Amino acid sequence: MTHPPTVDERRLSPRVRRLIADAGPLVALIVLIVVFAVANPVFVSPGNIGILLSQAAVPLVIATGLTFVILLGGIDLSIEGVVATSSLVFALTVANDRNDLALGLFGALLAVLAGSVFGLANGLANVKLGIPSFMATLGLGAVGIGIATVLFAGRSPRVLDSGMRMLGQGSTLGIANIFLIAVLVLVIGWFVQRFTRLGRYGYVIGGDEAVARLSGVRVGRYKIGAFVLGGTASGIAGVLLGSQLGVGMPTIGSGTMFTAITAVVLGGTLLTGGRGGVLRSFVGVLIIVVLANGLILIGVNPYAQVAVQGLVIIAAVVATGWRLRTRVRIIK
Amino acid sequence: MNHIFRRRGIVAGGIALTLAAALIGCSSASDDSGSTGGTSDDVTAVQSIRSMSNPYHANWADGGALFGDWADVEVVTIVDEGDSQTQLSKIRALGAEGKVFALNVDPNDSSTTEAIVKAVTEAGGYVVTQWNKPDDLWPWDVSDNWVAHISFNGETSGEEVSQALFDAMGGSGNIIALQGILDNVPAKQRFAGLQKALEANPGIKLLADQTANWDRAEAFSVTQTLLSQYQGQVDGIWAANDNMALGAFEALTAAGLAGTIPIVGFDAVPEALENIQNSDETGYIATVSTDPWWQGGAGLSLAYQAATGKIKVSELSHEQRAFYGKQIVVTLDNVGDFTKAPLLDALKSDLENPFLRSQGPIS
Amino acid sequence: MTAVLEVKDLTKRFRGVVALDGVSFEVRPHEVVGLIGENGAGKSTLLKVLTGIYQPDAGVVLRNGEPVTFRNSSDAARAGIGMVHQEQSLVTSVSVAENILLGAEGDAVRFGFYNWPKLNAVAQRQLDKIASAISPTTIVEKLSFAERQLVELAKAMYVEEGAQVEPVIILDEPTSVLEGAELETLFAQIDRLRQIASVIFVSHRLEEVLRVSDRVYVLKDGRSVGETDAASADIDLLHRLMVGRESSAQFYHEDEQLPVDEAPVKLQVKNLTRAGQFEDVSFDVRAGEVVGIAGVIGSGREELSRVLFGAEPSTSGSIVVDGKPVKFASPVDAVSSGFGYIPAERRIEGIADGLSVAENIFLVAPQTAAWGPFRNPKKALEIAGAWIKRLRIRTPDERTNVGNLSGGNQQKVVLAKWLNSPELEVLILDHPTRGLDVGAKEDVYIFVREQCAKGMAVVLLADSLEETIALSHTILVMRDGRIERRFDAPAGSKPKPVDLVERMV
Repeated sequence: MTHPPTVDERRLSPRVRRLIADAGPLVALIVLIVVFAVANPVFVSPGNIGILLSQAAVPLVIATGLTFVILLGGIDLSIEGVVATSSLVFALTVANDRNDLALGLFGALLAVLAGSVFGLANGLANVKLGIPSFMATLGLGAVGIGIATVLFAGRSPRVLDSGMRMLGQGSTLGIANIFLIAVLVLVIGWFVQRFTRLGRYGYVIGGDEAVARLSGVRVGRYKIGAFVLGGTASGIAGVLLGSQLGVGMPTIGSGTMFTAITAVVLGGTLLTGGRGGVLRSFVGVLIIVVLANGLILIGVNPYAQVAVQGLVIIAAVVATGWRLRTRVRIIK
Repeated sequence: MNHIFRRRGIVAGGIALTLAAALIGCSSASDDSGSTGGTSDDVTAVQSIRSMSNPYHANWADGGALFGDWADVEVVTIVDEGDSQTQLSKIRALGAEGKVFALNVDPNDSSTTEAIVKAVTEAGGYVVTQWNKPDDLWPWDVSDNWVAHISFNGETSGEEVSQALFDAMGGSGNIIALQGILDNVPAKQRFAGLQKALEANPGIKLLADQTANWDRAEAFSVTQTLLSQYQGQVDGIWAANDNMALGAFEALTAAGLAGTIPIVGFDAVPEALENIQNSDETGYIATVSTDPWWQGGAGLSLAYQAATGKIKVSELSHEQRAFYGKQIVVTLDNVGDFTKAPLLDALKSDLENPFLRSQGPIS
Repeated sequence: MTAVLEVKDLTKRFRGVVALDGVSFEVRPHEVVGLIGENGAGKSTLLKVLTGIYQPDAGVVLRNGEPVTFRNSSDAARAGIGMVHQEQSLVTSVSVAENILLGAEGDAVRFGFYNWPKLNAVAQRQLDKIASAISPTTIVEKLSFAERQLVELAKAMYVEEGAQVEPVIILDEPTSVLEGAELETLFAQIDRLRQIASVIFVSHRLEEVLRVSDRVYVLKDGRSVGETDAASADIDLLHRLMVGRESSAQFYHEDEQLPVDEAPVKLQVKNLTRAGQFEDVSFDVRAGEVVGIAGVIGSGREELSRVLFGAEPSTSGSIVVDGKPVKFASPVDAVSSGFGYIPAERRIEGIADGLSVAENIFLVAPQTAAWGPFRNPKKALEIAGAWIKRLRIRTPDERTNVGNLSGGNQQKVVLAKWLNSPELEVLILDHPTRGLDVGAKEDVYIFVREQCAKGMAVVLLADSLEETIALSHTILVMRDGRIERRFDAPAGSKPKPVDLVERMV
């Protein structure tokens, strides 16, 4: 009698399955690039590639932070509110047309810190008050929009600090600064994920929280840490957007959350936690940015664009989550 | 037995109400006589707006104040911070004061409009509404207390501002267009205006139109992409609102093209006006204003004249009770008129005749 | 010679239920001690006390002669006690090294930063101890089940580093999912372990225990009821010690068991196979018959019951009800064919926590209290009240949240839910008495007899052999996914537990 061990369903669907889940997003990205390049050579022109990279910057920063939260099996729905608050803190503390403050880089750091504080609040609400993360972050996201609206006071403060504008608008050696900053965030994120307890325990807790607890891991502390990383990333995104558009606005982050969550999931980080990583999210971000840019370049009707984007996303999510299908027994 | 008691109860309640009304009436009457010097009728002039911190509504309120100066009445301003429930309850409270009032209101949404006009009708006040109204609800179907509804047609102004863009381009060249949320009524009207202008200007070609959902950041990246798609071919940018136009402007700045490609938008937000003042450097040619001072002043004047009987609502035509106001294209030439409140003299004729700027009936 | 680990008079109670009742045993240096006992004998409670997860109510644990108290699992690890869990406790998404050192990385992580070379080196050292060729950098999910068990073993060995004493390694049912060559590897592994540690080997497979152990303790009802040298052990004796007293016919209402030889065949299972789980299973169930299926974990009986109820698909073979073949794509199909299922995981799969007792009773057959598509609340309460009375469900009223009832009463609600369905003809009982007290168990037995008298066909997966033997008309012993043997069990001439156990392992 030869039968494989009974417990593990992954062995029933061997390497091929795992390969699809692992390499699928990268293959999808390459296919998209080839299709768009053939349909319109402008797509791979140096100019357009530069634009693609700069468009990937803000989603990449947010998705990097969000990856840590999702790896734990949590979710951060406060992104747009945090981005909004951060953009206004930034616009009101660097040289601007509203007040006499001109803190320069220190203002930008304050704005990032505001994001970290939101992340901390998200983590505390989730861990200490036991509120499910989607509810806690949804609430704090609304707080963020509220604070931003108060700071906004009916009119966008304009950023007059030309140095700070260069963060989002300038370029170095032909590459947009905003993308360089995003890559720096990605590298830091990768380092944290690979070389720190915060990063490694994220996988352990997301993979099996009970095992983590039984091994004496202080689960709550690392969960809060992940939310702080997420909030900080949103704070950086707020600064970048504020610098790029030259204003702080409550609506400045609209759409960023959907893009970021989609990118993380597309990249192959499971919403149930434990598997994935920031480099995968980078691939996810590129897929979304390439899709948005390419669909315009090949002249797809604006009405159809949204539908096509949605279909591609659902296809990718089904592909990554397929192996978890069909089991009737409820898995706790 | 029971029956009799109940009737007595009603009578008692009625007396209490009358007393209360008399008390309230006395106190407010004495206030009025103090401030207006007894020259006015017993009509309170009221304007209801979203927020004083929002520049558009602040200008609207200034327009109402100009009317107050002109008619020598005190103008009460109600602010609701965008909350329809607050707006409605504050308007209902006006009725409880037992005085005739004239109200010029910017309802937060269409359903609030219906509730407001009904509340005002019950209270015997007079109201002029602007912008939002259910499509199938008309003032003449409700009551003479709903004096008129004023709105704005994006198609006409869309055509005019597009023409300003084309003129700045010298009558020929290629443009790209950023649409608002597809299916949104002003977005459609404005884009229809652009298309009319394109028909009239065969030298202009629309390279591409994309939606940026009224959003600045989205407009930034869509503009980037379109600039890369039509490298060196874009001679002008049309946006369905200033927010997107400002996003496009930042994209041009990032590409080092600011000032070389003309841009137009709509709504006359302060940042757009500032850019228009420097249009040589910014390339921001024009935007469209509904003239909020006129909305505040002429709208209140119309309600007040109806309340005092100077205008007989029953004698007004349908065309006068639901009409489009005039929108003005703001360029470098006239931008000074929109960065500060006008002088009373400039608005006087519109206050005397609130229908002066009518662009025809709402269809 | 001092024992490396000694347990004296250990007692542990859970809400009045005695799980450990004065257990004593000792482990000597470099010895492999076998620990056997039926499900519920107290093995897992004992292990949890030894690893610091539970604290005993009375008794002492001595480590190398010194009394020790374990407040948590880290305390036990510091004392050099490591365990390989029956249900594996590895995080599959991270590397072997991270798992081995999880929660006790020591110098390999400084100020929160990982020193990977060091981490991998420490892990490699543990893997070397057990002579495993697995690389510490491998992600666990890429390993086979047997390989993962070696990682668990290496993880258990890691306690040695912190404790600076020779470890005691507990192996909890390590063989239950292994076979053939893998099993041989494990035995070789245990022989090697013997050189560097002392081992507690927990299992219910007697042959294996006798093969690897030096001495064997038998646990029964929370007590150690026997101790013997493996070399001189008599399997039959161990069987008897393990199973205990002869079944009490009265407790199981054996006299109410009616013969079914003349009854029509209700359910036929023909050559049913689910790849990798069980193979070629065939049997008949007559109306009024109880067919008990016995087998250890991994024998395939749990999987069989789930396939019978349509919760998982079969690979081949057929199910025939009343002579008509049926195909179950999901439990919905099974229910409409008159099947009912009392699951083992009652809280998860049996009751709908948060709904009232009455609402739970009408989950399966809402039409029994309805006007067309609408609920008839009055009738529902009436019927629910009748069930509560009939099954003696202890609840304040019909509207009480079912989650607030005791386990036994919850189980009765689950029974009522199925019985309320007028179409019910086949009932699959998956550990129907698990976690119930004696009184509630007896109620369940009475209920099974009643249903049989009415012609219900019952498939039973019982908690203990006694229960299986006493309730069943026919007993199927499963082993390695196949039916090993069929026993007739008419009232008055039941097979002995020992006969069954021989076929199970």
